[in-house]
Amino acid sequence: MFGTIVRKEILGHILSFRFVVTLALLLVVVPVTTFVLTNDTLRRVSDASLRRAELETYMRTYAHFNRIGGVLQAAMPPIPFHALVRGLSAEVNLAEFDNDPLPVMFPLVDLVFVVTILMSLAALIFAYDSVSGEKEDGTLKLMLANDLPRPVVILAKIAGGGVSLLVPFLMSLTVGLLVVLVHPGVGWGGTDWAALGLVALGAVLYVMLFYALGVFLSARHHASSASIMTSLLVWVLAVLVVPNLSPYVASFLAPTPSRIQIEREAQRLGDTERDDLGRKLQTEAMRPLLVRYPVLAENLSESDQKRLVERDPAVREAFEARRKAVSEAWDEANRIQSEKIVAIMGAAAKKEEAQTGLSRTISMISPLATFTYLATDLSSTGMRNEAYFGRLRGVWDRAFGDYSRRKLAELQARDPATDWWNTAVDMSDRPRFEYREEPIGGRVQAALPEFLLLLGYGLVFFALAYVSFLRYDVR
Amino acid sequence: MWRTVARKEVLANLLSYRFYVVILLAAVLVGTSLFVMARDYKARLADYDLVKPGPGEPIAVNPPNPLSIFAKGLDEAMARSFEAGPTGIAVRAGQKSGNSIFAFFPTPDLLYIVRVVLSLVALLFGFDQINREKEDGTLRLVLANPVPRGAVLLGKWLGNFVSLAVPFLIVTALGVAVLALDPAIGFPPGGIVRLVLILALTLLYIAFFLSLGLLVSALTRRASSSLVILLFAWVLLVFVLPNLGTLVARQAVDVPSVRALSEKRQQIWTREVLLRIRGEGDWPSHVKAISAENDALEADYRVKFDRLVRLARSINRVSPTAGFVYAATEIAGTGLGEESALKKEVIRYKNGLLDRTLASPDPGVADHPAFRYAYRPLDRVLAEGALFDAGWLAAAAVLLFALSYLAFVRYDVR
Repeated sequence: MFGTIVRKEILGHILSFRFVVTLALLLVVVPVTTFVLTNDTLRRVSDASLRRAELETYMRTYAHFNRIGGVLQAAMPPIPFHALVRGLSAEVNLAEFDNDPLPVMFPLVDLVFVVTILMSLAALIFAYDSVSGEKEDGTLKLMLANDLPRPVVILAKIAGGGVSLLVPFLMSLTVGLLVVLVHPGVGWGGTDWAALGLVALGAVLYVMLFYALGVFLSARHHASSASIMTSLLVWVLAVLVVPNLSPYVASFLAPTPSRIQIEREAQRLGDTERDDLGRKLQTEAMRPLLVRYPVLAENLSESDQKRLVERDPAVREAFEARRKAVSEAWDEANRIQSEKIVAIMGAAAKKEEAQTGLSRTISMISPLATFTYLATDLSSTGMRNEAYFGRLRGVWDRAFGDYSRRKLAELQARDPATDWWNTAVDMSDRPRFEYREEPIGGRVQAALPEFLLLLGYGLVFFALAYVSFLRYDVR
Repeated sequence: MWRTVARKEVLANLLSYRFYVVILLAAVLVGTSLFVMARDYKARLADYDLVKPGPGEPIAVNPPNPLSIFAKGLDEAMARSFEAGPTGIAVRAGQKSGNSIFAFFPTPDLLYIVRVVLSLVALLFGFDQINREKEDGTLRLVLANPVPRGAVLLGKWLGNFVSLAVPFLIVTALGVAVLALDPAIGFPPGGIVRLVLILALTLLYIAFFLSLGLLVSALTRRASSSLVILLFAWVLLVFVLPNLGTLVARQAVDVPSVRALSEKRQQIWTREVLLRIRGEGDWPSHVKAISAENDALEADYRVKFDRLVRLARSINRVSPTAGFVYAATEIAGTGLGEESALKKEVIRYKNGLLDRTLASPDPGVADHPAFRYAYRPLDRVLAEGALFDAGWLAAAAVLLFALSYLAFVRYDVR
């Protein structure tokens, strides 16, 4: 019996106008989007390799230790998944003078958009009259006049509708993947396919939950015109409003100090305040020395100083002691101030992290945000990847720091007279930053809560649809 | 005659479920959006007060624009602090950068609410105007009287437009009045004129979608099919076309990536400093070289980026949504054109500063003039594209209405 109704639902949908429109739209939007994004990814790949080559050429002439840190910065290469999911890859880059404002004006269209906006809307369009429409037509009465349990009817309706909704989506996705496949330059590997499979699974859960929501709302109304209004209202709120408001609500609940203020404060601590403290510590350290070595209090010219130091070992000892005291005082000042800087930066970072976490939690009320995080984290294009990239960069920074110290010591041992810090040297043996995507295991683990949440939403809406249908007055 | 039809439409709307759902939604969203964005504006204003340069400090900061409460656009980028130095411009961004959730979802300003929600609402008002009356059989009755079809259509359009526009304007006006009472938010003298223009543009935008709804309604026999068509058309017009257009334009115009530019700037600076330490040339000549190369990079980027923006704009105009966004942000002073003009000013400021520093015998004492950015006057904004976008929106609305007239004249009411 269940099979018959599923079959009827599928056939009913396939023959409907909305199915044809959905299929046509998906078959146009998904391949076009994938095609454009694939080309964009290829452009980024060539840009990245060009930059790499330019850097190598540059380093052959200008490599030195003092300022090269600014030139040698870890950069995230294009990720193969960018052909489908853009995530946080848009180069808005407010920290640079030449930022790219276009993505701010017009957010990008990608697979996540297709699933979250297009498919959820399609799900509601497919589902809004599944109960109320049949009631209006009078077929629901007829159906239930037969020996049919209501649970079977509602289950079969959701299953049949879901299947007829997912088929066009999966078809268009397949066409889109063909576009990616004919461009080997994108560099899709096994991990990407596994991640894609999981993203597709998330998409199925997402679409099904909206379908169940649509059926639930349909079973709450007696006219399909009313059920579509409510469905659209709920859709607008859940999909277009809640996620967008969430970071603002979070910044209201968990404010963070202004970054500009923190940066300014850090600059002050490391600059003027450090100088004041250094001078103070130096004066304090000098006080006993001046008593012990009266020669230090004399106002000697540099040449006199040199002469005295060479002639008298006692004077040499005095000047040695002064050099040591001064250097210790400034080291101490630097240490104290950098501890302060680390403390305020750390406190601000903690607050920012708390706010981000809160925004994320609030936004996950919306299935759109939940799926967005799931898809971007699985495809290495989201927040998780940014954190992962930050860790990789840290590892590389340390490796380069070790390399610099070792190399500098070697060079200084060979030729102590040269200022190696500011001399061009051969750095061709330096460690290079290599980005490797995070293994899939960690990503899956991170996406698990989102999976469960989507499943939970689906089950809740399903249960609501079930209960509403059991109590539905079919007359 | 059309007045009677319009009156009937307004009254019918007032009694309908749809009207309450939609008006409630619009009111809540407009209110929330204004509240949230006003808070955001005030937070950025507090940031500005912190970084506001003291006398003589070579920092160019443009205060946040109060109209960004309605159309945020690029105001975040425009209110950054640009610290001009001999080796370039150091940029400090606001506090948003700490929370990446902001980057995931578009800003919920009034512009967004109108662009996405109000357009959908307008479609929901228009989608069943003709075919539903046909289904109900009332269309036959109406046309059995001596009523010209044009009058029926015009009456329907006006009645629905009024029932949509009036509540929206009331809610927005209330919101603006509350904002105006807030002493922390001071609208500039021309601000109200700009706001009125943005609201007028909003009405045009609603008119476009209402006409589109009417057209599809007059082309279909069943309300359910017109709804399906319209919802998908809406997704295409509001989301897909403008956003895809930008990407398509990117395929045609090769703009250097932001990353490549920032790497180049670092390389130039490091190279010149190293050369100076090696003793090749004096410091002012190196400073000039750094500045000149950075400006050349910037100029090259600007030329290419402007070409990209022009192309993207032309492609995006296929969708009136893009035209609406361009025009509204430009009028608010938060659009692409304004951002570009501001950056040009910042570069001019930096170069003037550099010239003075190099000319002054004692570089430490050079007193720098304060940076002040004057927004482009409204007539220039209108002439540079906003008027075209508005005209195009109006023309599209009229065209769609004319088409729906044609379709309705030929409509079989049986």
